[in-house]
Amino acid sequence: MQSVARAVPWVGLGAALAVLPALTNDYTQYVVSLSLVYVLVAVGFNIILGYAGQLAFANAAFFGIGAYTVGLLRVQLGVPVWAGLPAAGLVAAVSGALVGFPALRLRGYYLAIVTVAFSELMRWVYVHGGAWTFGPSGFSVPDPVLFGWVLASEKAKYYLILPVVLLLLGATRNLLRSRFGRAFAAIRDSEVVAVSLAVDLAHAKLLAFTVSAFLVGVAGGLFAVLLGRVTPDSFGMGELLLHFVIVMLGGLGSLLGSVLGALVLTSLPELLRNFQAWQEILFSLLLILGIVFMPRGIAGLLASRWARLGERLY
Amino acid sequence: MLAQLLISGVAQGSIYAIVGLGLTVLYRATTVMNFAHGEMYMLGAFFVYVGLHGLGLPYAGAMSAAVLASVVLGFLVERVTIRPLLHAPHISLVMATVGLSYLFKGIARLFWGQDIFPLPPLLSVRPIQVRGILLTSQDLLITGSVTFLLVAFFGFFHATRQGKLVQAASQNLRGAALVGINIGLFFGAMWAASTVLGAVAGILVAPLSLLYPEMGTRVLIRAFAAMTLGGFGNLGGAVLGGVLMGVVEHLSGGYLSTVFMDIAPFVVIIFVLLVRPVGLLGRRQAVRV
Repeated sequence: MQSVARAVPWVGLGAALAVLPALTNDYTQYVVSLSLVYVLVAVGFNIILGYAGQLAFANAAFFGIGAYTVGLLRVQLGVPVWAGLPAAGLVAAVSGALVGFPALRLRGYYLAIVTVAFSELMRWVYVHGGAWTFGPSGFSVPDPVLFGWVLASEKAKYYLILPVVLLLLGATRNLLRSRFGRAFAAIRDSEVVAVSLAVDLAHAKLLAFTVSAFLVGVAGGLFAVLLGRVTPDSFGMGELLLHFVIVMLGGLGSLLGSVLGALVLTSLPELLRNFQAWQEILFSLLLILGIVFMPRGIAGLLASRWARLGERLY
Repeated sequence: MLAQLLISGVAQGSIYAIVGLGLTVLYRATTVMNFAHGEMYMLGAFFVYVGLHGLGLPYAGAMSAAVLASVVLGFLVERVTIRPLLHAPHISLVMATVGLSYLFKGIARLFWGQDIFPLPPLLSVRPIQVRGILLTSQDLLITGSVTFLLVAFFGFFHATRQGKLVQAASQNLRGAALVGINIGLFFGAMWAASTVLGAVAGILVAPLSLLYPEMGTRVLIRAFAAMTLGGFGNLGGAVLGGVLMGVVEHLSGGYLSTVFMDIAPFVVIIFVLLVRPVGLLGRRQAVRV
């Protein structure tokens, strides 16, 4: 009986999400879908930044790798989107492991340094990839086809994006509540304590980094599907700022925070899309003020009001 | 060709050297890696631009004003954003510097927009030719100024009372506070010193490079590579690594292709981490728990 009562709000939420397209027009539907993509981006980023406490700055790069994987597989080889999305996650995860491997075995800022350099390297690859990556101007991705249907409208794309995001969100929640999630948090709080509890530091960090890259890679694939266009400029430092703001303002080490942060903040860049300078100033001020005055983010505020919303990994 | 590339590489590398040195000084004193340091470099050039075009100063005036402005900026950054986070988790401090980096970029973009601005050359002396090698006045000026700055810096650090004070406080903050060193002032001074080192690099290259809001990111990555190569956290290592980084970059540009200049720092970082993670001058540190 108790489990039924606990399931009621979730079923309600699921039903609301399923019928949401009935209430939207094309533009609001696009923003809703975009928010869902960013929920996945934020959750993925939060695993490495908030749960494992590692300074990894390659999130926009993994986002781009996912987008390029889905897009290029589709355009160059004709691979359908349902196969492209897992491939996007895998390619991002493998590149994450390759990049993180030398740095994660060392302490301190090495991961930050390697990942910053890697992000620039990926942009270089996109721009100089010639016929492979279509160079600086990028390329268009045709609408996805699923079981013979062409998902051309914003609403149809939403029904592709929603289940993928919900599925990965649920899987992430379970992972974080397993011994792996607790190992991540132990590393963040004290590496010495984590080692003394028989956590293999290099292994656990690599796992966190790989899972994080996988989620963000899939999100990148969804992003390519949603926008229908992939360009190198979408995955630069400006994109990374948005990821940072969402995760930090939502709350480090909180899934709920990442979800809320993504929902709240995704509509802002849409409003400011043509004013890059103001977008940078507004977001960086939000980031700094958030760190100083709201260190645990929106999720921290909520948890201090309603203890039930606080996150427990045990 | 080799000699020519070496010389231009050293000139370019000396810029990376002082940018890397600025990062290392701050890292040693406060354990914070300043991700806005590339923007200090950009702002150095930006201040010169404002001095020349906004205030109509001559080059010497604009450059001096830029140095002064960067001192003020360093103290201000420490006081306004870093001091309130003194007891916050380390990740918050680093993220705050990431925020600053974007803030400065956004402000510069408001003034510069999407255009790229050249400044008039500083010296209009013809390049000197020695045995077929071209020495431009700008390369000589940069290498000379950086050498002077480095001698002054290390002289101060090792020979003066204040320099020893800085070394002591970097070693042990609590101990330094106990013997009466003003820690707040120390942090402020370290931020100012680090900012000036970054800004001077920007001021020196301003007359010969194109100015745009993202110019700092490029240099920051090369300074990271320099620090990794020389030995992370090692002052001399940052300088050595910086010069080598410049040379590697110019050699790869000269012998392979200019597109490879862009990925040289990444190759250097990965190579060092795989072969000798502590860098050239670094020593493996035992950590007491």
